[in-house]
Amino acid sequence: MAERKVSVEAEVGLHARPAATFVQTAAKAPFDVSIAKAGGRPVSAKSILSVLALDVRQGEAIVISADGEGAEELLDRLAEIASTV
Amino acid sequence: MNLTTVLAPVAGAAFGLAAVPDPVFSQAMVGPGAAIDPERIPGEAVAPITGTIIKLHPHAYVVVGDDGRGVLVHLGIDTVQLRGAGFCLLAAEGDRVEAGQPVVRWNPAAVAAGGRSPFCAVVALDAVDGSISDVAVGTVGAGDELFQWS
Repeated sequence: MAERKVSVEAEVGLHARPAATFVQTAAKAPFDVSIAKAGGRPVSAKSILSVLALDVRQGEAIVISADGEGAEELLDRLAEIASTV
Repeated sequence: MNLTTVLAPVAGAAFGLAAVPDPVFSQAMVGPGAAIDPERIPGEAVAPITGTIIKLHPHAYVVVGDDGRGVLVHLGIDTVQLRGAGFCLLAAEGDRVEAGQPVVRWNPAAVAAGGRSPFCAVVALDAVDGSISDVAVGTVGAGDELFQWS
């Protein structure tokens, strides 16, 4: 299981464009991808409903994880999206 | 097969999502749905479906039905920047609401006067391509049918 912990830096948090880009990227993976707030319950990173419901604000940390061929690269990409201002 | 009737949250002129002046919505990045150019008068935005308000921001809310389907209502473009000014919450996060029940009172004319588009996006979250049909075009009242989600 690969994992990244990153701080969400977009002013709007993980909503609107950052959320849509994040979910669209995760959804392309052939394996499960999850997202959680630090210490929180993981939800599917492929579901815009789940990600919006998670309500991650600017400056909050998230943990994203995945397991499968290419998981490391995907998590790098998702971490980049999340940490982009 | 599930069929969800999604109601217009506000009164105005209904369009396809492509009409929204924000690519996040117009390119259906968040999901498929419809848009409404609201009447420029103070009004109440209502719940598009019956269910639970799982997220309630002054400028946007998500209602999830008993079948787990979620619908996002986004009131105006870039209205997150208003930080709630001009929006009055008529319900609370976690509340159960009936389709058509008022959720937020707002004034599209004031949003427009502030230099922002008051366009309202109504998005079927996690909907698969082609699952939206019967999208209303033209004048709708709040609570009128806006589209079907199969």
